Amino acid sequence: MSNAPDSTDRCTKTRIEYDDTPVRQFMVASIVWGIIGMLVGVVIATQLGVWQANFGTSWLTFGRLRPLHTNAVIFAFVGNMMFAGIYYSTQRLVKARTASTLLSRIHFWGWQAIIVAAAITLPLGLTRGKEYAELIWPINIAVAVIWVVFAINFFWTLARRNEPSLYVAIWFYIATIITVAMLYIVNHLSIPTSWTHSYPIFGGVQDALVQWWYGHNAVAFFLTTPILGIMYYFLPKAADRPVYSYRLSIVHFWSLVFIYIWAGPHHLLNTSLPVWLQSLGMIFSLMLWAPSWGGMLNGLLTLRGAWHKLRTDPVLKFFAAAVTFYGMATFEGPLMSIRSVNALSHYSDWTIAHVHGGALGWNGFMAAGMFYWLAPRLWKRPLHSINSANMHFWLGTVGILIYMASMYVSGVMQGLMLGATRESGTVLAYPNFIEAVNSTKILMHIRALGGLMYLVGFIMLGWNLWKTARGAEAVNGSIEVYVTEKEPRMGLAAGVFSAPVVFTVLLLVFVTGWAALPNPVGGLSLWGLLATTLIMIYYLEVTKTPWSAWYERLLANALPFTALTTVAVFIGGLAQIVPTVMVNTAGSIEGVRQIPYTPLELAGRDVYIREGCYNCHSQQIRTLVGDVLRYGEYSKLGESIYDHPYQWGSKRTGPDLARQGGKYPNSWHYFHMRDPRQISPGSTMPLYPWLFSDKTDIAALPNKIAVQRKIGVPYGPMTELEIKQACEIQSNAIATDLKNAGAEVAPDREIVALIAYLQKLGKAEKVSPAGSTHTASK
Amino acid sequence: MFHRIIVEEWQRALSVLSITLFFAVFIIHSIRVRCMSRESIARLENLPLENDDQA
Repeated sequence: MSNAPDSTDRCTKTRIEYDDTPVRQFMVASIVWGIIGMLVGVVIATQLGVWQANFGTSWLTFGRLRPLHTNAVIFAFVGNMMFAGIYYSTQRLVKARTASTLLSRIHFWGWQAIIVAAAITLPLGLTRGKEYAELIWPINIAVAVIWVVFAINFFWTLARRNEPSLYVAIWFYIATIITVAMLYIVNHLSIPTSWTHSYPIFGGVQDALVQWWYGHNAVAFFLTTPILGIMYYFLPKAADRPVYSYRLSIVHFWSLVFIYIWAGPHHLLNTSLPVWLQSLGMIFSLMLWAPSWGGMLNGLLTLRGAWHKLRTDPVLKFFAAAVTFYGMATFEGPLMSIRSVNALSHYSDWTIAHVHGGALGWNGFMAAGMFYWLAPRLWKRPLHSINSANMHFWLGTVGILIYMASMYVSGVMQGLMLGATRESGTVLAYPNFIEAVNSTKILMHIRALGGLMYLVGFIMLGWNLWKTARGAEAVNGSIEVYVTEKEPRMGLAAGVFSAPVVFTVLLLVFVTGWAALPNPVGGLSLWGLLATTLIMIYYLEVTKTPWSAWYERLLANALPFTALTTVAVFIGGLAQIVPTVMVNTAGSIEGVRQIPYTPLELAGRDVYIREGCYNCHSQQIRTLVGDVLRYGEYSKLGESIYDHPYQWGSKRTGPDLARQGGKYPNSWHYFHMRDPRQISPGSTMPLYPWLFSDKTDIAALPNKIAVQRKIGVPYGPMTELEIKQACEIQSNAIATDLKNAGAEVAPDREIVALIAYLQKLGKAEKVSPAGSTHTASK
Repeated sequence: MFHRIIVEEWQRALSVLSITLFFAVFIIHSIRVRCMSRESIARLENLPLENDDQA
């Protein structure tokens, strides 16, 4: 900070120089990683139409590259973009320089190191096997540490601010920082078996729920709330007019923060997840229409009286299109959360269209608009080419539309074909899964074209900003502010344990008890409700203190505000996860209990996870006629209780495997993994030649089994020798069977372990309620 | 055809609590923002615009 103090009695005038170096750094990193992430996206889109694009190399297969694509786009592209926007806008909204230059640098370089580590480990097959949470445990710890560094720097800056009020964008940033930390830590709780491998502590339905509580809210609090904050700052700046309705933005924030966290179970509709949770997820998803569209309309209407500027200003073009895509995606999301719609859309390319509308349209275009707006200000030079930016806009828009249209057609076709029946619903209309694959293959090429167009647009952005910045001097913004004597801040206790909060909580509890619980609790709750209301009225009469004063102070005090935001997001998670932790109890496994994997099957399962098979194959037969006719009896809760991590999947590029065990002989799997098209003509599955040459990692099994035992899988005591012998006996039996079928392979190869695992899928034991007591106490 | 599991009575309370919570939040904040003064709103909504960088 460069000071030129000009003191008066009550305040000091001073000049603040912002630290815009991290803004520039994060912006450049976002563009570079964005281009790489999108390039990988185009490659894997191509692989779905042209199997040869997997190149027969382990580290370039779809199963390994798809996590790289999603992680790169979410955490590298949007993450860096978000940090750039937050560092720039926060300093200006609170009229203070970022608190610590050192922490900013640690944040930037630490985040880039994490991305590099992810880019190396994911293609190597080092993964946790959970979507968007694939990174191995040492990287998880690094992410948590760097996130804390960011949080300290952010809240420290707020503490040093010279603007007493907190603009709504800051609220969204606070919600982001708190919620992402909570989600990330809970969903990544694991016990390591080695430096590069771990098992999550949750299994089966618990893991599924925690995963989608995280996965859904990663969308909410990593891809939405920070970008909404950015929208509330940069859109008014670019349009040169205040947000359409600040009042609406307040309602938007609180209702979004309270509702979003509850909607995760809509990713698990028609599955083994308890029905009350599915209903909860569906209802809250429908409620999301209100705040999401409130925010979208608030953004679009900010352009009132400035629509003519869209003709010439590429920044506003990008922002207007981005907010429109936000509106489309947030309309479609709740729609897809209706169980009957979800029956068609889930596990199909419809979901892929939906997420790319959000990622390319909302996130990508907000990023582009913000970068085009920032670059001339960060380097004090006009944008190199307005025409190029306009060209980028149209190329990107047409690219998105081509991509989404092809995926909608593909998704609806997949959903209809795979669920279609004839003869009064007793026979599948398209019994061979490959028919759906072949029918949609052309659409995979079209999607790759759309993605390529979008990528070219972003390369144009990179070139344009490079030409703008090259040779120009990087400039930090500065401002003169009056530093006033700070009013005493509202403490945590005064903010949280205040009359409005206490009375509101009591009223909510009693209303719920009255409406939902049977007598005598219901009756007592009614009395509690009446008593609380009377006490509240009396309290207001006696104190004569309007609650609005507390609220006004809250909005200007980051600490209690953050605490209440944490409570808001915590309630939703708590209400869903705590009951679900009790789901794997004796009465809840639906009379069927999974048989723990043998050591060889466990090794095969880790191969399955390493290759990212869950990216294309589900292991969950839904309670839908089409699913049951195609794959067998619908999946029960107890059938996956020992699966750490669960492998229900979210997309069926290939068929479900929940009841794959025993369906085909060992040799079928052998030949299928060697050349999928030999068994299934038209298949787009990659080749897996290394499984036939690489040896199964038997040495790692004792440690893995010990960890499995710790997290509740009922393995009996086994010595290392016993584990090795068990593997040898089972692998020899499989190898002999293969040899008899004309498929010779050494028993210690990974393909044998994988076959052992695949043949186990769907094998479970029936248990009586009395017999399942053992499981309950595991 | 399909039998799904277990609904425990107390779990119903969570659905009611969540819906009550949403409407409470929505109504309380809608009322609250209607009560905010015009001056306060005008000051807050102009925050992004009032501090353009100075060279």
